[in-house]
Amino acid sequence: MSMTSLLPTLVRRERASLKATLLAPPLALAAAILLNLGLYVLMGRDPAAVVHALLLEPFLSWSSFSEVLLKTGPLLFIAQGLAIGFRAKVFNIGAEGQFILGAIFASAIPIWFPQAAGGWIWPSMLLLGAIGGALWAGITAFWRVRLNANEILVSLMLSLVAAQLLYYLLLGPWKDPNGFNFPQSVMFQYDAMVPTLFAGTRVNVSLLIALALSLAAWIFMQKSFMGYKLQVGGLAPRAAGYAGFSEGRAIWLSLLIGGFAAGLAGAAEVAGPLGQLQRSISTGYGYSAIIVAYLGGLHPIGIVVSSLVMAAISIGGDNAMVSANLPIAAVRVFQGSLLLAYLVAVAFVRYRLEWPQITARSPS
Amino acid sequence: MTNLTRRTLMQAAAATGLAGAFGSRLAFAADEPLGITLVVPSPIGDVGWGHALSAGLEPVKAAYGDKVKVTVLENIMEGPDADRIMTKTVADGNKLLIAGSFGYQNGALQIARRDPGVTVLHASGFQVAPNFSPFAAKYFQGTYLLGMAAAALSKTGKLGSVSAFAIPELITSINAFALGAQAVNPDIEVSVVWVNSWFDPAKEQEAAKALIAQKCDVIFSNAQDTPSVVAACEEAGVYSFNLNSSMKKYAEKTYLGCVATDWSPFFLASVEAHLAGTFKGANAFLGVADKVVQVTDWNPAIPADMMAKIKDVETKIADGSFSPFTGPIARADGSDGVAAGATMTDAEIVAMDWHVKGVATPLPK
Repeated sequence: MSMTSLLPTLVRRERASLKATLLAPPLALAAAILLNLGLYVLMGRDPAAVVHALLLEPFLSWSSFSEVLLKTGPLLFIAQGLAIGFRAKVFNIGAEGQFILGAIFASAIPIWFPQAAGGWIWPSMLLLGAIGGALWAGITAFWRVRLNANEILVSLMLSLVAAQLLYYLLLGPWKDPNGFNFPQSVMFQYDAMVPTLFAGTRVNVSLLIALALSLAAWIFMQKSFMGYKLQVGGLAPRAAGYAGFSEGRAIWLSLLIGGFAAGLAGAAEVAGPLGQLQRSISTGYGYSAIIVAYLGGLHPIGIVVSSLVMAAISIGGDNAMVSANLPIAAVRVFQGSLLLAYLVAVAFVRYRLEWPQITARSPS
Repeated sequence: MTNLTRRTLMQAAAATGLAGAFGSRLAFAADEPLGITLVVPSPIGDVGWGHALSAGLEPVKAAYGDKVKVTVLENIMEGPDADRIMTKTVADGNKLLIAGSFGYQNGALQIARRDPGVTVLHASGFQVAPNFSPFAAKYFQGTYLLGMAAAALSKTGKLGSVSAFAIPELITSINAFALGAQAVNPDIEVSVVWVNSWFDPAKEQEAAKALIAQKCDVIFSNAQDTPSVVAACEEAGVYSFNLNSSMKKYAEKTYLGCVATDWSPFFLASVEAHLAGTFKGANAFLGVADKVVQVTDWNPAIPADMMAKIKDVETKIADGSFSPFTGPIARADGSDGVAAGATMTDAEIVAMDWHVKGVATPLPK
């Protein structure tokens, strides 16, 4: 008997296992934690202190938890939008750029009308931001539908273009005239800020909007005919074609929804915790949200949970840097290994291990 | 302490040598060590801005021992995350925050306003509050000297600078570099490439190569946290120098010198003032006289007579009898900058938003 035949083989399940579907995310989380604890021990850090800072502290005080909620907002917006496209097998990887465009569009109001006052300002900023994000994603949709250009590459590269556009504005026309040439805009006026939800925290009304959009995403994907068509297009493109569902429309719709949501997130960020347009407006939300979308099983309710988990890990990572002296690279390793563990775990939703039958040899 | 002057800094430096001398002042903070947190946007690494700040805390650790607890947080992106991290470190009980980038200004200022017991030192900004001091180095004093050396060595009469952001601190560095060079060769020109990043090795290297292609034969790496420019210059055989910390090991032959910053006198003085309860926020604009700016690693290729002139000017800068920004200075656009005999004040220098004549590249507007 050769060695290879002793190894188990992956066998496709007749149907996805419900047990495995539910178990995959928590198991992936547990595996990532265990792996990284080993790393912290090797680095000579106290694993108990790291676990406390990384996983418990975000939930132990209201001020910490409010920061988790603050960070959940943009992840939730973007991941919900992306998940709809991912289920239709339209891979919009450029949410980062759409986020930046959302921030730019939203900032136009307070930068052009710094004296304007009134309750209409912040809602208009959010709407304008969403439109900006959708327009940016529309460029990708256009090239994909017209020229069959790969949407992964186009959307990703447009993110780099978006960042350059932002830098141009901040170094040129939108630079604060009294800011000593520092590349940032004026501080926004009071009415250009999304109202806070809880006094003393930075959590604002945009979190409620993100939750409402999550509900809308659920209704759209589970209950509407359009959502059904998108999903069929993703699962069985040829069947969808025979049924007369247009692929072009699915691409347009997926990207516009993704861009709309990412743009909204960008707008909420400048009109929320930032209060001005500056160079570093996103800490990679557009990319983290891809992880969030998949961790949440591309399901609107799953994504609410996974965005909260991702935000907590991120806040916990900051805590671990500040309190447990963990380098930022170790925090990123944790986030990366979490995705890796999840991808492995999720394979077991569709596949199972089959061990070779070993026939006991009788003694001669 | 009303202002951070040279004298108070020197006193502080002396006092820390005798830790016992202020033992009584420490009484109220008997057991709790003073938590000091440094936050920087780039990696600490071996060279550059973050490295210089972090190194400036070493003498503080040495002087205060277990009376201080220093935490260094690197790679912290400016924005809401930095605000949260700074808030967290203060909530953890750290009372002295060093916000190591101009982009931390608004968040750090809010922290200072919320908690008067916290002392914040903020790099490169312009806001001042009772417990909030912006600090910046008078790099221009050092770059003037390197301008003299550059002019003596340049064969093409063209100098270059790869620069991070067009903020006053960096503009004045370039201006003084040009003025120092013109003091030796009045026709010399300086070209500038703005990379708009503190940390972007690929872009910096590209910019250096572009300047070299334009026949610039001394390149000033203005506020980069990577040795890319210096290394690219070594490869091309042109002289280079940089700010903050020495990059000589990346350019053994062509390294012209380093406008090094040693922040320890300022940090020691601030820690002492904080512990004594006498800290008072003020604009800390520190240079050669404060021992914060020092030119090190002079290249032996600089002719001896020029070196003597440079040393002479350095002494005059240190004792205050000479300032690089003494008129007549013409602006790059031809208009008058500084009248003959007049000297720019510190306040004018920190707000300088124009290039002197001889800087060939217009400022991004």
